[in-house]
Amino acid sequence: MILVIYKIIKNDLLKKKVIMTAVFIFIMLSALLIAGGSRMLIDLNNSINSLFDKSSAAHFIQSHTGELNEEEILNWSREKESVKKHQISEMISIDGSKIFINGEKSESDTVMDLNFVKQNQDFDYMLNLNNQKIKVNKGEIAVPIYYLQRLDLNLGDSMKIEGDKKQFNFKITSFVRDVQMNPSIISSKRFVVNADDFEKLSPLGESEYQIAFQLNDLNQLQQFRDEYSRTELPQKGPTIDYQLLKMANAVTDGLIAAVIILISLLLNLIALLCLRFIILLTLEEDYREIGVMKAIGIKSKKIKKIYFYKYLFIALTASLMGYIFSIALNKLFAKNIALYIGKAPESLIQVLIPFLAALIVALFVIIFSLIVLRRFKKISAVEAIRMGSRGDLNINSSSFSLFKSKYLNSSIFLGLRDVILRYKLYAVLFIVFILSTFIIIVPVNFLNTIQSADFISYMGVGKSDIIIDIRQSKNIEQRFKEIINYLEDDAEVEKFSPYITSQYEIINQDGEAENLMVETGDFSIFQLDYLEGGAPLLENEIALSYLLAEQFNKKVGEEMEMIIKGRPQRMLITGIYQDITDGGKTAKANIEADFSSAAWYTINLDISGNRAEKIAEYKQNFEDVKITDPDEYFQQTFKNTIDQLELLTFSSLVIVILITVLITSLFIKTLTAKDKSQIAVKKAIGISLKNIKLEYITKALFVLNLGIILGTITANTLGEKIVSAALSIVGAAEINFKISVFQSYIIIPLLLILFVSLTVLWSLKSINDLSIADINVE
Amino acid sequence: MENILEAKNLSKTYLLNRRQHHILKNLNLKVKKGEFLAVMGPSGSGKSTLLYNISGMDKMTAGEVVFANEKLSQLNEDQLSAIRLKKMGFVFQQINLLKNLGIMDNIIISAFMAGDEKRDEISKRAHELMKKTGIIELTENEITQVSGGQLQRAAICRALINQPQILFADEPTGALNSSAAEDVMSVLQKINQEGTTIMMVTHDVKVAAHSERILYMIDGNIEGEYNLDKFKENSELKERESSLSRWLLNMGF
Repeated sequence: MILVIYKIIKNDLLKKKVIMTAVFIFIMLSALLIAGGSRMLIDLNNSINSLFDKSSAAHFIQSHTGELNEEEILNWSREKESVKKHQISEMISIDGSKIFINGEKSESDTVMDLNFVKQNQDFDYMLNLNNQKIKVNKGEIAVPIYYLQRLDLNLGDSMKIEGDKKQFNFKITSFVRDVQMNPSIISSKRFVVNADDFEKLSPLGESEYQIAFQLNDLNQLQQFRDEYSRTELPQKGPTIDYQLLKMANAVTDGLIAAVIILISLLLNLIALLCLRFIILLTLEEDYREIGVMKAIGIKSKKIKKIYFYKYLFIALTASLMGYIFSIALNKLFAKNIALYIGKAPESLIQVLIPFLAALIVALFVIIFSLIVLRRFKKISAVEAIRMGSRGDLNINSSSFSLFKSKYLNSSIFLGLRDVILRYKLYAVLFIVFILSTFIIIVPVNFLNTIQSADFISYMGVGKSDIIIDIRQSKNIEQRFKEIINYLEDDAEVEKFSPYITSQYEIINQDGEAENLMVETGDFSIFQLDYLEGGAPLLENEIALSYLLAEQFNKKVGEEMEMIIKGRPQRMLITGIYQDITDGGKTAKANIEADFSSAAWYTINLDISGNRAEKIAEYKQNFEDVKITDPDEYFQQTFKNTIDQLELLTFSSLVIVILITVLITSLFIKTLTAKDKSQIAVKKAIGISLKNIKLEYITKALFVLNLGIILGTITANTLGEKIVSAALSIVGAAEINFKISVFQSYIIIPLLLILFVSLTVLWSLKSINDLSIADINVE
Repeated sequence: MENILEAKNLSKTYLLNRRQHHILKNLNLKVKKGEFLAVMGPSGSGKSTLLYNISGMDKMTAGEVVFANEKLSQLNEDQLSAIRLKKMGFVFQQINLLKNLGIMDNIIISAFMAGDEKRDEISKRAHELMKKTGIIELTENEITQVSGGQLQRAAICRALINQPQILFADEPTGALNSSAAEDVMSVLQKINQEGTTIMMVTHDVKVAAHSERILYMIDGNIEGEYNLDKFKENSELKERESSLSRWLLNMGF
């Protein structure tokens, strides 16, 4: 029996080499990607845990600018049982224009906050690329990985910082793997210098403190956060906690792993479709033989087994090979993780889970072929022997006759007619074209969305020309007012609106007070797109970010209680907006600013003149402010994400074109082999090759165009929903694709049409040699 | 009478298992306009190969075929297709209608593809041909719904739709029972009488007896020629058959 099966498998594989190879490759790639993707997720998780462990990450960090009484903090945390360790570290934030990293170009255009620190004493260590605590001597500096990657730095490169009178030169001796500020989406970076150098750099910039805590029990984090916020301890600045750090570190690679797994599933789907196509084709070819086997008394089950073993063999070998290749490619998958987060010690799970994932791919294929092979039961011995073929028209053809068509070119008509009458045959191609279009359009649309000027509205900010951030310092209130006066007198300022973000207490759903940063100001000037409702206009109105509304379980029109100037006040929720900044949990209210608890000040403005010149003017006239062009800001913070997305878009384009070409060519070759005698008849009676080819191109392009239309609709609806669902984790629950008509509706369809047409023409080459001798060969 | 087709020193050689097989050997042949020519001979003598080569369906190895004043060896694939489409008609033993088209579509497809006439006129002519061949009631039928004889008559309609100068028939009755075969032959007879030149390959003496000139092929060459009068009535068929049989017997058939 085994010998017989071996022979059948061998013969069949040889007979249908091309399509069998394709199925093999799809199953293999699917197994490879799912094994690679799952391995990536495990690596990511292990590496993050290892990094958090080695760097002894902080559980809660309060940034603060301004005066600080260390004694008070020390006393408070000593009394707290939940606190395991605490630490106050000072950072010096130096303006980018004074900083030159390995070259003569300063970092004046950067949107990053460039901070200089000493290595921490007790926890929150900054590590080198070997996950060891960084030590720097005098004159040495450790530079964040972000710059290693962006500027392609090497150890030994130089960096200089220009002071008013003196210039400081450093040699780069390490790169900083920084658990707190690693991810490129965090717009703050820490450089590590020696304690002596730190003192010298102090006068060059603004001091900012990080008051960090490690707790005995992480579960008490929320409670601790609330307790801290109720104290009079320093709070002028944002807070970060352990969960947020984990998410920020995981988000980029996690999304990529998810996309890889998704692509694997799509490839698996294509493999299954191809498999269904081959099984049905084989059944049709072997229809008479199967009938004869049945007629001479061989049980269906036995015949079915012979076919089944073939697919079992392919599924298992292809998945196994995919898994083996994935081991070889692991380094590539985990490259970004290895650089930013580091490597964790190997474990058995890293081998086992990807193997199981690859096995699941094989299992899918096996179960699917069993389902398709159920058709065996339907074959009747008598009919099979008598007819020899089942015939493959799905609809009565007389309703769609050539002689009734009045104007359409005959070849085109026959092509269209064939697709409609034998639609089941074209299902594989149709679904592959839908998937292909979907896989290209979604990333292209998302890329356009994220690059569009309107994406800023997902960051909880109304669109404006310039944003001025005023750093915490002495007399900030005074300076804030001066700047406002300046803007009022500036004729080129069309409109502006100041916002002050202060901390308020909010009564949560459990009736407990919780601290919340609320941005105050007039939100009608720079309008934000609200998911629901609109801007808070009255004193008792508030708008919540999507994630905050989710957390408090509040809807527009409901009320929540807020403590304002020590008195509880009921606030009506007027709007819910999307915000991916500050962990996605923010609020806006049009109430009087509380300068005493203000954490930061910003002013949005629109101008009539040249934006760059205006920014330069303000930079010269205002001290200690950060002036950003929102577009520029966005470009830089999301540069890494956009780069990754561009790479992903380009890769998906290449993969899709390869798949489309492969499947189209397989399909057309199989179809022409099936239609061989019909094509030979057409040639014999004088129908030109040109007309025959036109018929086949029509078939492919008709199916392609339907696929493109449906694929585009699905991408713009379902695709948008999928992206929104993925991004709701970070606070943007309703992404509206910005569609580039030129790219999505012209270039991509044309590209697909071009490749499909060329592939069809190439695949039709074999019909050139068909002759009268092929007429009677089925 | 004027020649419509002439083959000069026509040779066809196949390479099979690294050995050359000479199927046609310097064959010479003339087909006169309006005649009904039959080619007979034992299996493997090269009858069908001759038909495929002089119709440009297959490429000759050497020699020349002149059809309607054109040298086929000098034409490219597209030009040959155009000649087959517009000036030649074909009827095959296995009928070879297109599987996924209905009867009517099979008949009109060549004319629609040629695109030289209005579609209404083509349909009108198709109806006339169907009436002439006795299958007018099959206009809306699928090819799976009719008998073998009817299918072959539909194939004849297809061959005639572009009003060809010559009709090639390769064993047109080979797959039919005797009564269907007779029907088909009487149709061909009628067409010939109306002026269409027919060149037919056949094994069957009864079928060949419908023609006016019979060529006998042996081993890739024409070894004999037998002339009959133009066929007039069915009553004389028996007599024609027996005289042809006697000649064939002499030829070693």
